[in-house]
Amino acid sequence: MSYIEVNNLKKDFVVKKKREKGRLLREKDTVNALKGISFSVDKGELVGYIGPNGAGKSTTVKILSGILTPDGGSATVGGLVPWHERKAHVKNIGVVFGQRSQLWWDVPIIDSYSLLKDIYRIPQRDYEARLKELSEALQLDELMKTPLRLLSLGQRMRAELCGSLLHRPELLFLDEPTIGLDAVSKLSLREFLKWENKEHGTTIMLTTHDMEDIAALCSRVMVIGHGQKLFDGKLNDLLERFDTVRNVSVKYDAALPELVLPEGVECSKTEDGIKLSYKPSKLPTAKLLSILQDAGNISELTLQPENTDHLIAAMYKELDL
Amino acid sequence: MDIFRLYTKSIGMLLKSHLQYTSSFIMQTLAQLVMEGGEMMVVILIVDRFESLKGWTGGNLYFFFGMMSVSFYLTELFGRGITGDFPMMVRTGRLDTFLVRPRGVLTQVLCGGTDPRRITCIAVGVAALIMGSRLSGISWNLLKVFVLVESIAMSMLLILGLFMIEAIFSIFSVKSVELVNAITYGGRSACQYPIDIYPTPLRALFTVIAPFALTLHVPASWIMDKPLYGWPTWTAFVTPLSGAVVFIFMTVMFHLALRHYRSTGS
Repeated sequence: MSYIEVNNLKKDFVVKKKREKGRLLREKDTVNALKGISFSVDKGELVGYIGPNGAGKSTTVKILSGILTPDGGSATVGGLVPWHERKAHVKNIGVVFGQRSQLWWDVPIIDSYSLLKDIYRIPQRDYEARLKELSEALQLDELMKTPLRLLSLGQRMRAELCGSLLHRPELLFLDEPTIGLDAVSKLSLREFLKWENKEHGTTIMLTTHDMEDIAALCSRVMVIGHGQKLFDGKLNDLLERFDTVRNVSVKYDAALPELVLPEGVECSKTEDGIKLSYKPSKLPTAKLLSILQDAGNISELTLQPENTDHLIAAMYKELDL
Repeated sequence: MDIFRLYTKSIGMLLKSHLQYTSSFIMQTLAQLVMEGGEMMVVILIVDRFESLKGWTGGNLYFFFGMMSVSFYLTELFGRGITGDFPMMVRTGRLDTFLVRPRGVLTQVLCGGTDPRRITCIAVGVAALIMGSRLSGISWNLLKVFVLVESIAMSMLLILGLFMIEAIFSIFSVKSVELVNAITYGGRSACQYPIDIYPTPLRALFTVIAPFALTLHVPASWIMDKPLYGWPTWTAFVTPLSGAVVFIFMTVMFHLALRHYRSTGS
């Protein structure tokens, strides 16, 4: 049996509609947040969980972390049912919500950690060793005596991560951890997650809208939309399926030569060169390059996949989300 | 013991953060003094004007008032998580973070709030108790001290239990403040006076639904050597336990409600 087993998980929310004129009671509407999701995750995996807003990502994470009780289906994490054996289960997990804090706002973060030590009943020695390890890895030494509210967003996220990992959880849920972070913070956060995963074998499941997060961290990605699982597999396979168009920009030394291009390649002139879009599945990249090279002396050439956000948008569109 | 340590540590930390804003803390504490002092003045004026109320002397009235103030504001001092902050905890998603920690949710809610400003209200209550005891000529013995402590502790549990109704409603994201305030703050205002000055429906409300009469008036009457509304003497020791009954019942309801918790979007 895998570490996380999810079978046909369902969750409905009842939403009250606006009251219509002349009626005493409001009509109710049922929204199927999850319509029967199944998957399994092995120990030590780093899984990305993506989907548009309202797809059911957070609902899944909340059920697996024991916050919500599902309306149907089953789920176990390490053999425990999160919503039945909440206390035993949450001892083994850490949760970081990107937009809400788990630490105390007005006190130095070291005080928050000390309280977490008592909440999780971490032995003093173990706590000291782990805190030292994490504060080094997350560069928190200087910040320990600063109240949370005075930290920058990037520092705060690092502090949150430290707090959620003090009790050495086997499983870490991250809900949009890089939201709003600058480039440097994002990179160091990703490095840290990779390190934690490798060093301690911590299973990590993260939801995100940032494809770079997935590309940098996750070998496996799950796509969810309208409460259903739409894709589960390697990121490369996902890209292959949707990454259909590539762009090439070429500049030549001399005047623009005449190009004889095969069908299906779109060509447009830019200020000092040309831009081509083609489908690698129809025309191998090597072949296109040789055509371009034969035409004249190339001074500059850039080849790029389509912007990842466009790619995701295309994917959501094709999957009808 | 472990929970007690966690509680004191949490509250200590909250006090630290309250004191980060010193001047606002002092101002608010003084405002509380004025407010509760005003309530006390009302009682003093009544005593001044009528000398006695349905057979209760001024000293008796101060004693009732003091017991209610001490019980109510001790609850707000130590149980702020339930009496005030809980709806906010639901709205801001703090309840989510409680649920992902290996401790009881109610424990964490109680660890998550304190209202040290109430200290002045408690001081007014203690003053009223001393005044009431002197004027009523209460002869204290160990048993009376025990009943006083029991009565205050059970009234505190009752008040917590009543505020938990609001907590349960807010788990279902229903605003119920007005309804619940009627028996919590309303109960405090009404039951700081002797219960038998009220007409039967109100007396029934505060005996059966929000049994302040049982946790507070019966034992207080016994302490002041007054008749127990026609009940035998032993009831003075037993009726306060109704506070614990309400609290336990509401705790069960609270946990049932948590199963239907929907969390907030992120």
